[in-house]
Amino acid sequence: MIATFEVPRGGPRAAARAAAGLLLGAVTAGAELVLLAVAAVLMAYSMAFSRGRRKVPAAVADGAELLAELELWRLRAFLGEDRAVRYGPLKALAYLVLRVPVGLLGGVILLLLAYGAAAAVRLAVGWWITGDHMDDIPPTWWIVLYTAVAGVVLLFLAVQGLVGVAAMERSVARRCLGPSPLEEYERRIAQLSVTRAQVVDAVDDERRRIERDLHDGVQQRLVALGMLIGRARRAGDDERAAELLRQAHEESQRALADLREVTWRVYPAALDGEGLRAALETVAERSALPVAIEYDVPGRPPHAVETAAYFVVCEAVTNAAKHSGAASVRVAVAGSATMIGVRIEDDGGGGADPGGGGLAGLARRVAALDGTFAVDSPRGGPTVITAELPCG
Amino acid sequence: MRVMLAEDSTLLREGLVRLLAEEGHRVEAAVGDGDALIAAVAAGPPDVVVVDVRMPPSHTDEGLRAALEIRRRWPDVGVLVLSQYVEKRYAAELIIADTAGVGYLLKDRVAQVDEFLDALERVGGGGAAFDPEVVRRLLAAHGAQGDPLARLTPRERDVLDTMAQGHTNASIAAHLHISQSAVEKHVNAIFDKLDLSHATGYSRRVLAVLRYLGS
Repeated sequence: MIATFEVPRGGPRAAARAAAGLLLGAVTAGAELVLLAVAAVLMAYSMAFSRGRRKVPAAVADGAELLAELELWRLRAFLGEDRAVRYGPLKALAYLVLRVPVGLLGGVILLLLAYGAAAAVRLAVGWWITGDHMDDIPPTWWIVLYTAVAGVVLLFLAVQGLVGVAAMERSVARRCLGPSPLEEYERRIAQLSVTRAQVVDAVDDERRRIERDLHDGVQQRLVALGMLIGRARRAGDDERAAELLRQAHEESQRALADLREVTWRVYPAALDGEGLRAALETVAERSALPVAIEYDVPGRPPHAVETAAYFVVCEAVTNAAKHSGAASVRVAVAGSATMIGVRIEDDGGGGADPGGGGLAGLARRVAALDGTFAVDSPRGGPTVITAELPCG
Repeated sequence: MRVMLAEDSTLLREGLVRLLAEEGHRVEAAVGDGDALIAAVAAGPPDVVVVDVRMPPSHTDEGLRAALEIRRRWPDVGVLVLSQYVEKRYAAELIIADTAGVGYLLKDRVAQVDEFLDALERVGGGGAAFDPEVVRRLLAAHGAQGDPLARLTPRERDVLDTMAQGHTNASIAAHLHISQSAVEKHVNAIFDKLDLSHATGYSRRVLAVLRYLGS
């Protein structure tokens, strides 16, 4: 239910891809070595004749950035390294200087592997097929065992070397081309400022809605109730007064029911006591549409996450009942210790507007918890609303 | 009286229609928004309209804008505005707009049927009716600014308070349990202190006071 987009680790296919990536990396390292040699000459030249203007020559800058792009593509395609990067020509050059030895090292290890494999094959052919024993040593069992063990140990070392090279490739790219820690912080702070402002907005929106609920519902009923009682008091004959009082009594019941509704919408008390599952079941009971709930969350998620998940479901179910023309709604809540996923699907006409008040409010609420929120509602339906909320 | 209502809550609208019918008024239109009210008034002006401030589409001040337009185009029609809160700005706008036949009540006042009907009668008859709460707020706002109102004695303040709600001298006397001549004395003292002319009629005086307060 919760989609992740990682290149699968392990497995023969991934290993083959990584090996291909390292081989390609060794080849590009050779090409980069040539570029760096040319760049060194050009840089020295430009520094000597720049009349004080320190600038990377355009040809070098373009070449460096082009090669850095190529390397990033290679890391993405073969080694599953896909992170945000920001770099200029100087950073690209620094990256190339550092990665060339790494790439060449990978190439050397691959060559050793190939050499080892060829030697093993030659040995085996000489022992058992052509009878041309190497060094005239016959393949007695302990000789075979000894060479096999040595071969396996060397193979293991080479493979570990490749794994190490792949890790170094990633870390060099991250170190040189990725955002600096300061930039990361700045980006995070900017994001937090935005979500904080959005939370305040969302709170204001909810308050406005509560005010409207109270004003349009409860208060009108109470005024009507007062009017009924007032009319009863002014009514001349007893029979009429009794009838008006009866109506007033009914009205008071309705006012109470309205008040209960509003308080429930403001905050479902069940959330605190019995938790998300109980609160969601109540949503299903109160909904005009049939709501099927699948709930699979171990333990109790943090309170803020429970509340956000509850409101996402509540709003989505309300929307489905009000606008979509759906006949039923399916709610799935699944989670682990680190993440809760919520999915609400209706079989209605679709066309929900993610920018609409309610949905936008939900998006803000989820963003405030660093979660993701998505609305998929093509014309003709169905509407699927998903939210993922990290727990702590 | 011939009455028209604009109130978006169906429940209240129906209640008001029944109440007014029981009291022998003729409800000629009961609508849910300002435009419909203006259309109804244009078709045949009633004696008085009752308007809720917050109505569709935006639920802000549609009712008030309709009320002001009715004051402008049909000055003879009394306008009684029902508001959710005391909005001093709205009260002031209504008062500044014109003189007689204006009322501004808190919506909840409708539940106090006697007071509501009384206010409706006064506004329909060309008088004024302001919610005690509105008056209290306007007076309080001014008292804080150290203006001439601060010079009124507590008794004079009571008289002004009651008078501003649209009561006649006789009913002020009844309200405050004092003689009518005492009321007249207080009223004259108030106008002296507030520098208001004595030449205007009763409801004009009230409105002049309120206009002064609301300015």
